[in-house]
Amino acid sequence: MGDPLIATDEASARDAIGWAVSEKTPIEIMGGGTKRALGRPIQVARGLSLAGLSGIEDYEPSELVMTAWAGTSLAEIEATLAANGQRLAFEPPDYRALLGGAADGATIGAVFSCNLAGPRRTAAGAARDHLLGIRGVNGRGEIFKAGGRVVKNVTGFDLCKLVAGSFGTLAALTQVTFRVFPIPEAEATVLVIGLLEQDAVAVMIEGAQSPHEVSGAAHLPAGIAALSGVSAVGGAGRAVTALRVEGPAPSVVHRVAALRRCFAPLGEIEVLEAEGSQAFWREVRDVTPFAGDSRLVWRLAVPPAGGAAVVAEVGRRIEAEAILDRGGGCVWLATAQKAEEAAGAVRDAAATVGGSATLIRAPEAVRSHADVFPPLAAGLRDLTARVKRAFDPLGLLNPGRMYAGL
Amino acid sequence: MQTSFTPDQLRDPAITAADEILRKCVHCGFCTATCPTYVLLGDENDSPRGRIYLIKDMLENDRPASDAVTRHVDRCLSCLSCMTTCPSGVNYMHLVDVGRQRIARTGRRSAADRLLRWLLARVLPSPERFRLALLGARMARPFAAFLPGRLKALVKLVPPAARTAILEPRVFPAEGVRRRRVALLAGCVQQVLDAEINAATIRLLTKHGCEVVVAEGAGCCGALAYHLGREEEALAGVRSNVRAWIRERTARGLDAIVINASGCGTMVKDYGFLLRNDPELAPGAAEVSALARDVTEVLAAVGLKAAVAGAGTTVAYHDACSLQHGQGVREAPRLLLQGAGFEVRDVPEGHLCCGSAGTYNILQPELATRLRDRKAANVDGVGADVVAAGNIGCILQLAPAIGRPLVHTVQLLDWATGGPRPRVLDQANWLN
Amino acid sequence: MPRVVIPVRCVKTDMRMPVPDTPTIARRQQIVGALRRIVPDGVIADEAAMRPYECDGLAVYRQIPLVVVLPSTVEQVSAILRYCNANNVKIVPRGAGTSLSGGALPLADAVTIGLGRFNRILEIDWDNRCVVAQPGVTNLAITNAVQHRGFYYAPDPSSQIACSIGGNVAENAGGVHCLKYGLTTNNVLGLQIVLPDGEVVRVGGRHQPEGEGYDLMGLLTGSEGLLGIVTEVTVRILRKPETVRAMLMGFASNEAAGDAVAAIIGAGVVPAGLEMMDRLAIHAAEEFVHAGYPLDVEALLIAELDGPQAEVDYLVERVAAIAARCGAACVRVSASEDERLRFWAGRKAAFPAVGRISPDYLCMDGTIPRRRLAEVLARIRALSEKHGLRVANVFHAGDGNLHPLILFDANRPGELERAEEFGADILRLCVEVGGVLTGEHGVGVEKRDLMPVMFDEVDLEQQQRVKCAFDAGGLLNPGKVFPTLHNCAEMGRLRVSGGQLPFPDLPRF
Repeated sequence: MGDPLIATDEASARDAIGWAVSEKTPIEIMGGGTKRALGRPIQVARGLSLAGLSGIEDYEPSELVMTAWAGTSLAEIEATLAANGQRLAFEPPDYRALLGGAADGATIGAVFSCNLAGPRRTAAGAARDHLLGIRGVNGRGEIFKAGGRVVKNVTGFDLCKLVAGSFGTLAALTQVTFRVFPIPEAEATVLVIGLLEQDAVAVMIEGAQSPHEVSGAAHLPAGIAALSGVSAVGGAGRAVTALRVEGPAPSVVHRVAALRRCFAPLGEIEVLEAEGSQAFWREVRDVTPFAGDSRLVWRLAVPPAGGAAVVAEVGRRIEAEAILDRGGGCVWLATAQKAEEAAGAVRDAAATVGGSATLIRAPEAVRSHADVFPPLAAGLRDLTARVKRAFDPLGLLNPGRMYAGL
Repeated sequence: MQTSFTPDQLRDPAITAADEILRKCVHCGFCTATCPTYVLLGDENDSPRGRIYLIKDMLENDRPASDAVTRHVDRCLSCLSCMTTCPSGVNYMHLVDVGRQRIARTGRRSAADRLLRWLLARVLPSPERFRLALLGARMARPFAAFLPGRLKALVKLVPPAARTAILEPRVFPAEGVRRRRVALLAGCVQQVLDAEINAATIRLLTKHGCEVVVAEGAGCCGALAYHLGREEEALAGVRSNVRAWIRERTARGLDAIVINASGCGTMVKDYGFLLRNDPELAPGAAEVSALARDVTEVLAAVGLKAAVAGAGTTVAYHDACSLQHGQGVREAPRLLLQGAGFEVRDVPEGHLCCGSAGTYNILQPELATRLRDRKAANVDGVGADVVAAGNIGCILQLAPAIGRPLVHTVQLLDWATGGPRPRVLDQANWLN
Repeated sequence: MPRVVIPVRCVKTDMRMPVPDTPTIARRQQIVGALRRIVPDGVIADEAAMRPYECDGLAVYRQIPLVVVLPSTVEQVSAILRYCNANNVKIVPRGAGTSLSGGALPLADAVTIGLGRFNRILEIDWDNRCVVAQPGVTNLAITNAVQHRGFYYAPDPSSQIACSIGGNVAENAGGVHCLKYGLTTNNVLGLQIVLPDGEVVRVGGRHQPEGEGYDLMGLLTGSEGLLGIVTEVTVRILRKPETVRAMLMGFASNEAAGDAVAAIIGAGVVPAGLEMMDRLAIHAAEEFVHAGYPLDVEALLIAELDGPQAEVDYLVERVAAIAARCGAACVRVSASEDERLRFWAGRKAAFPAVGRISPDYLCMDGTIPRRRLAEVLARIRALSEKHGLRVANVFHAGDGNLHPLILFDANRPGELERAEEFGADILRLCVEVGGVLTGEHGVGVEKRDLMPVMFDEVDLEQQQRVKCAFDAGGLLNPGKVFPTLHNCAEMGRLRVSGGQLPFPDLPRF
């Protein structure tokens, strides 16, 4: 691929895509390039980088809303928010270590285009739940906008949702408006040591059903817990089940005590305070335990109560290591088998509970041939193609990134 | 809602009333969700908002009742759940009665339907005629399977045995110091089918210091005929009741008119409206309505004696629609039962009618049965020892369908304060 | 927000709807017959019985439908849509008919398809904390079905007693708890949809979907019945908070109240609800329900805080301190559940209460950035003088959703028109300050013609192309949302402008 075109403002982004339209030539839409290894590889002659289209356009902390150009780095946004005691509640992950490669940071446009979220998703939603408004360039080379800059808005179709998670196949985002939330005064994580997967899921369900507003629930088997840089986890020597609570300090104290009382009969309890808790959840968020090797990494989205069963089902067919996040609703699997064999076992297992599996890490050769995203149900394939054409009639934007031929 | 009545139409007091009611409706649709027939049928026409629309259209255009209007208004239970729900204060009860009268005058009904309605309006309000009819029906019971739909429903509703005792006009003195003097509406259907309810009511009132009088000349409240659209027949009864009670009040004084069948209570509390244009009786009717009380309202006001029996028995309290929606009485029976030591449990979907609704279970057996079964499942799901209700209609409707004894609230209160243990508890052998 | 009253005493006749298709109307008998074969016991073709379907909660606009059909199975819905698609017959979906924007307004040449018979809760999945319901189940019925185990469904539109969950999905319904718990779109996990061609598809499930293709669930939510008919909904349920308390705070000016809202949120507190009422609304509500509101203030804030007892106690103190700093004339905290409900009773009755001081009123539904509140209220006052009509303001201060109630008397010639112009001016003002036309009521027919105030032609065409991807024939709920109906084939054409190249060094292929 030749050097990417660099958009420096919205008009140049439009002109670049307008050029692609007039030449009928496909183009790769990029931000910081940190997630190029996510999804199917694209074979195109040109890229369009939006990383230069940056800057925070509007931010008034008391509105709980921020508008930024798509190329603004996530780091800049998080720093600006932190300076005002706020954050992105959906906890966008940093997969640089997991996926390898890119040194530069992610852009906010890409965070939304890929709809990534961390462990807080159960409590706070995914990136898509926080995206209020967009500006972008469609595959016709037209600048369009959708949504608005306010929290509550039902004016017109919610195209923000459609564009979030479309991996740049519908439009090149130029600007995003999103919700931000105050950083809670305090956080702490209650660890229950030594549970089997099935019991861990039961504990996480009980936590989620309690009135204690658990904002993170994960389970690391012994081998994975041992890799943690957080001493209480790394040194536990056994499996660790973690439940996070956040809020005003007195509330956190109260809820930690309640959870401790609740789960003490099941195993040894440890509590991670502030920094320890943050470090631990960063590891879960970024799937750090799987960062150091070259196995395939899968992310399964399943009904939470089915998390343990899925891991057991996969384990019957292939060798796999699992991290349970989001109370069991998100299963991270690392598998050493050949891609086809692993894909069969993993996707079948997810299907048994009505969930789905995405191949998050794999060599380019594998991603070019195998399905990366969960295959679409028959009834949705044509509809998906029509939606794609509604934005990008010539199929120029990130062709094949999500599905072959789309 | 905008209405378009001509000045000429508005000279009819019924139309004036309807116009005022219609103008309050803002078409928000809140009433649909709590209407039993909408819940069952899912058709706007079978919701209060839909019926309001149908009636409005018929009245505004001076149209004879179409089959659609007749069908959908006939399906209305008059449970008045919609009036509890309505935030705008639309008086659906009065509107649907205007609609019913128009349908009775202008609608097309089959001969069989007319005959059945005539029969119900003639027989039920008269205890003597009803008692004779019951004998006949009981003889017909074995042949029920051979009868056509609604006649079968009618015959099947007749309980296998009834303890009839028709109250004659007389005075039951208060025990101890007299604190209140009240007139009791002796009722029509209830005293033929279950005289225990009146007996328990009188025991309960007299032992709590109330002198109870059954006034000379007072009879059926008129609700059955009125809701069948037979306004004149009904109002004749209403007038004689008003005269009887006003006579009694003038002669010897009355603190309240006590009603222990809530369907009748809703009607008596509405006498003031029904006779609002009666030059002679309007003030008296208003006075009667102001004196009318459900028996639990009176008991709540005088306060219950310490309980001596029944403590710990769990009671599923069934809200009769005429009591909860028609009269807005929800707390008094619950508090009385709790105060008497019973453990009271609410029934899920308590706002939904059991399908009894006056003569509804006879005229609309299919819908009534669906509502009854739904109610029975909800009542049984509560798992109480006994079920209490404040209306004879509900008791007749539900008793055969639920798996536990069902009594009138006063029977439990009477038992708890020293009266006899309700026989149905022993018959059924549910309690030790 | 609470119940909304609309000016039902007047009939609008000048709303431009698509011209009815005469040939369709001419073959009405044939269409009725076909529908009867699909749903033998659920076709309403009698004019008297169709009349109750002529409008929804926005009774200003009325139209008797071509025919009404009430299916009770997914197969029937699919067969109806397949038939209509094959025979080029338009369809208007209808849930509980509580829309305040005319979303279910019938068309003379369209089948109204009522989902009232789909009223069963299919499953409660406690472990996965979700409820699977048919679309006709009411919003409140979901909470009622799960509250005995301490759960509830968070979005709570004022019509929650009657509005259906399918309608909530179509309109992306909100409520007073949106700020903390989100709108419908944030609380739906899965949908079963019948597409305009009759195909039945599922999106989402009982899990939080990841990478499962385009977020069609997010698109369908709030699509106002233009893209498909929802036949099953899976929503997540939440555990009820341990403690809930409400606070009343009175202020001498709208500005001071607005500052207090900014200060509360700026301090990192996200209340479960944060409502504001202006003087006219306070007085009307107090007179009606006697909630104990202060009458000597210009603006009243009601804040609700929920969570563990320790948290609520702590936050109540912080909010009270902030209010005092912002010059609150009075601060009261509910001491009991009864008192909390009383605080809310006034707010919830504010609309009907205002209805008592005026024969008719129009309820607007714009959203604005909160920081512009004082300015917007001042300009609404100026507009009120210009149009010669009074206005009361009720405001979801937490999320910027403004509900001005324009008071008028439909019996006075010209007042409705003036009220409508006033309303349009308010919505234009909302957009001008960076807000939107509708926060929770939907565009429907009511705000359709104002869409160009917020979106340019390209924006609207992009939305309509998405519509075309679902419904190329334009048969599903036409005449709603979009001011101009474009032909899908026409819009699909690509206009390539030669134009100058910003990257002159790029080779031409």
